[in-house]
Amino acid sequence: MNFKKINKILNPKTIALIGATDRSGSVGLGICKNLLEGKKDRKIFFVNPFRKKIFGQKSYDVIGSIKEPIDLVIVVVPAKIVLKIIKEVVREKVGGIIIISAGFAEAGKKGKILQDKIIETVKKADIPLVGPNCLGILRPSINLNASFAPVSPQKGKIAFISQSGALVDSIIDRSFVENYGFSLIVSYGNEAGLSMCDFLEWAKDDPETKAIGVYVEAIKDGRRFMKVAREVVKKKPLLILKAGKTKTGQKAVSSHTAALAGSQKICSAAFKQVGALEVDSLEELFDNLEALAWQPRCKNGIAVLTNGGGCGVLVADYCEKLGVKLSKLDQKVFRKLEKSKIMHPSFSRGNPLDIIGDALSDRYELAMEVLLSQENVHGLIVAQTLQTMTEVEKNAKVTIAAKKRWPKKPIIALFMGGKYILPGEKMLEKNKIPNYSDPRRAALAISALIKNK
Amino acid sequence: MKALTFSETKKILSEYDIPLCQMVLAKTKKEAIVFAEKIGYPVVLKISSPEILHKTEIKGIKINIFDKKTLEKTWDKILLEVKKKKPSAGIEGILIQKQLKGREIVIGMKRNQKFGPVLMFGLGGIFTEVLEDVAFKIAPVSESDAIKMIKEIKGYKVLTAFRGQKQVNLKAIVKIIVSLSKLSLEKEEIKEIDLNPIIVDEKKALIVDTCFLL
Repeated sequence: MNFKKINKILNPKTIALIGATDRSGSVGLGICKNLLEGKKDRKIFFVNPFRKKIFGQKSYDVIGSIKEPIDLVIVVVPAKIVLKIIKEVVREKVGGIIIISAGFAEAGKKGKILQDKIIETVKKADIPLVGPNCLGILRPSINLNASFAPVSPQKGKIAFISQSGALVDSIIDRSFVENYGFSLIVSYGNEAGLSMCDFLEWAKDDPETKAIGVYVEAIKDGRRFMKVAREVVKKKPLLILKAGKTKTGQKAVSSHTAALAGSQKICSAAFKQVGALEVDSLEELFDNLEALAWQPRCKNGIAVLTNGGGCGVLVADYCEKLGVKLSKLDQKVFRKLEKSKIMHPSFSRGNPLDIIGDALSDRYELAMEVLLSQENVHGLIVAQTLQTMTEVEKNAKVTIAAKKRWPKKPIIALFMGGKYILPGEKMLEKNKIPNYSDPRRAALAISALIKNK
Repeated sequence: MKALTFSETKKILSEYDIPLCQMVLAKTKKEAIVFAEKIGYPVVLKISSPEILHKTEIKGIKINIFDKKTLEKTWDKILLEVKKKKPSAGIEGILIQKQLKGREIVIGMKRNQKFGPVLMFGLGGIFTEVLEDVAFKIAPVSESDAIKMIKEIKGYKVLTAFRGQKQVNLKAIVKIIVSLSKLSLEKEEIKEIDLNPIIVDEKKALIVDTCFLL
């Protein structure tokens, strides 16, 4: 798929929505509202023969009545009339089509036949197609929300390419709490036209995208995936959450190899082989994407700074499991800290560096500077347990300052707690330092940042 | 599924320079004895039939044959067992090979609908069958992929210098994996392959038994 063609869909100057409506509770209404958010950036046309006006705007009876060339047509009508509509659309030589409607290959044999006819029609006309059975496409940076998501996300550097549409809705809602944003969200549905690989290629070359996440249930073309994914990981980190893991290998088998080579194992092997990172949960997917979008990547060898022993041990355990090395700290580090006179005499002379529970922000500030200035410390986890004297906001402030002095070394915050650490977390994340409340999540995030483990 | 015969298998392995251990397909007891005396005891006897994929299950494999007398007795026993358990199977003969010492590994291939040929590596016996401690790679498998594959399994240590044994020849294993990957990409008619077991030591890796399915 060439970039220019897909660009008509991802950066349309004109959009026509077939099946536009103001009927409450309808998918069509949701898309109307979302599209209108970008009406300053592009022209929106509504098509519905049963309406004269929708949201005060003229409603066309057929797409042919629109005089301007249309870059993107969105179809949200009942499945049984989709083919008829598509036939009308292809006569107009439009730039691309998204079919939101469901009731195709995912719904059984009849739907599959209908879908095949649609594929044939758009192929003949050489028009790229997204869907059917999808949520649509979102690009917050250009105010494009061509979907029926309940709300538009913030702009950011994460591209999320998802086979599921419904998941996307909740992920967007979650993103407001977790403070991350998106460069692109695509729900690609049944892959009747454009496939996951086409969007991967686009995201690879998209200057706004820094990290790519995929949710997938079944990979359509494994060999093409291998080729495309290899190119993607050369430029950007690629994280994949694959569902359908419980399926076991072939049952009635002839060779031992066939008995062991279940489809899930093959997918996991393929991800590993191309250098993509397979994750186990949505939380892990977005925790890591957030870190990758905000922080630079680094070599293996990090330091852990903490004001609590338990927290430090947990981080160290997870790091070891994940292959993240804790750098050996120089004796000079300890001498410097001892001389400072603000350290507790029994601070740990090791990594994790435990600066003891009564640490105030001056101790954090000094320790961070000493650790980050050490050459073999390539990244840092700043852990904070909530003690009676802990200065949450001041600690956030000195962490942000350290980040500014050391922009090339990633910093992950592990301010543990809930309600009382919230102001600190807000400050950190506003400054693109991700905060996690669980040592495991912080270790996983720093692990994702480390190249060539 | 149809299996390749012994001679077809032998031909294809030599075409890709995949080392089969020294063995012949004997049609008569006499042929077997001549070969055994040449290579020396102990030897292994195995039934050879494209219709019998799992030889152990029907007692079609006998090991620890240390002399001529046992060989003769075992020959008759195998034929009797096969006749009892799989009377319809067409018999090519009985394979005779030297009983090798070393560590066991398994290399295999399964053609996947979406990814094409998928190569598998594991240690032999329970490591593979019970613990499922195996690694997969999609073809083409490069030398560096193959090395990663070998080191990915949990039981990798078994192949290293361990309990007084020397590290096995990893290069020989890599060579088999890479060759099998090439074979799998070129011979599309072959759907599944087991090279099981392969006996490895510090010098070489030799294939002891195979199963090629069309």
